[in-house]
Amino acid sequence: MPYVHPEYLVETEWVAQHLNDPSIRIIESDEDPLLYAVGHIPGAAQVDWFSTLQHPLRRDFLTREKFEEVTSNLGIANDTTVVFYGDKSNWFACYALWLFQYYGHQNARIMNGGRLKWEKENRPLVKDVPSFEKATYRANEADKKIRAFRDEVLKQSTSRKPLVDVRSPKEYSGELISMPNYPQEGATRGGHIPGAVSIPWAQAVNEADSTFKSPEELRALYEGKGIKPDEEVIAYCRIGERSSLTWFVLKYLLGYPKVKNYDGSWTEWGNLVDAPIEK
Amino acid sequence: MSNLPPKLQEIVDDFASMTREEKVETLVAYSESLPPLPDHLKAARDKMDPVPECMTPVFLHGEKQADGGVMFYFDIPPQSPTVRGLASILASGLNGSHPEEVLSVPADFFLPMNLQEAISQQRINGFIGVLAHMKQTAVKLLEKGS
Repeated sequence: MPYVHPEYLVETEWVAQHLNDPSIRIIESDEDPLLYAVGHIPGAAQVDWFSTLQHPLRRDFLTREKFEEVTSNLGIANDTTVVFYGDKSNWFACYALWLFQYYGHQNARIMNGGRLKWEKENRPLVKDVPSFEKATYRANEADKKIRAFRDEVLKQSTSRKPLVDVRSPKEYSGELISMPNYPQEGATRGGHIPGAVSIPWAQAVNEADSTFKSPEELRALYEGKGIKPDEEVIAYCRIGERSSLTWFVLKYLLGYPKVKNYDGSWTEWGNLVDAPIEK
Repeated sequence: MSNLPPKLQEIVDDFASMTREEKVETLVAYSESLPPLPDHLKAARDKMDPVPECMTPVFLHGEKQADGGVMFYFDIPPQSPTVRGLASILASGLNGSHPEEVLSVPADFFLPMNLQEAISQQRINGFIGVLAHMKQTAVKLLEKGS
């Protein structure tokens, strides 16, 4: 059994063979943005989930107009194939892909295994920052079908529809609420959204090389916890980066038709007055 | 303004006058120049508890020298160049200082460096974590020494 939408995934070897393909833009998106400056795939551009992809004032994404500006400056046209890769098992690569699709760029892929696999295969990393001829990009209206907001998360919870908490077991249990060195991502309460099942994101990837697990393993993992393709599923974590990975797995590798990522996640829910919490 | 140890002050001033690109390059250079752990600390490193996901595992050890100054040693994975760079700046700026001097470094000493141009505000908060770690070590060395 193959992945349901294998066209959203490319292998490192495929990327290595398309480094000079003008119809493709390779983009690094990391948790640690300095990694790009340390060395990146030849010809790759960089986006940073925070400084590039967020709104400068509000807690929200960059606006549609700003997104058009960012993509145009990276030489991305509406028909460019964008391949994302990054550190930490592609958390922020999946986040960037999810956001690109939010503004309508369907033609996006993840490089299976991300930076880790590329490095392990001793493939080249360079420091040269490429420049691109400006393109003209036209974004769509934001696609709310892939992004969940708190009111619908509350409805999902009270009607006991599928919610997947992809954080580590100690965050789910409420033992941990914030991490040292990550004060901005804290919450005033610990626990999880009532009804959410715990399926840590890491169970979807192979630890050795950060590649995704096989379709059989993934199906057994999610269906085994009652997360099935016939209902709308909402995934969340702390700020929406780890759950972007789970969103990608459910949506494209397993082909669930209705999956949303709740990027407010625990940093919103765990601070929200009157929100129900389970421990 | 407070009186920072001179080496740290120099680094802060250097960064303050750099362009964004220079800041990124210099941070990478600091990250790459963080020396490996000396052999006598490697065993202690292996005894460290595993760190929960997302946090950069920072191993830190401080030793008091004959003249009373402290030497800090770090082990931070190369997959986390930002935290490595910030730790390397602190080690360069504070190694040889007395524990009291380490304790007197204000938690916001890095503001004039304007690092948010190069790495996002969140990342800069790593400084607060690493410095707090170093201060705890300095306190322990003071208690031992007295």
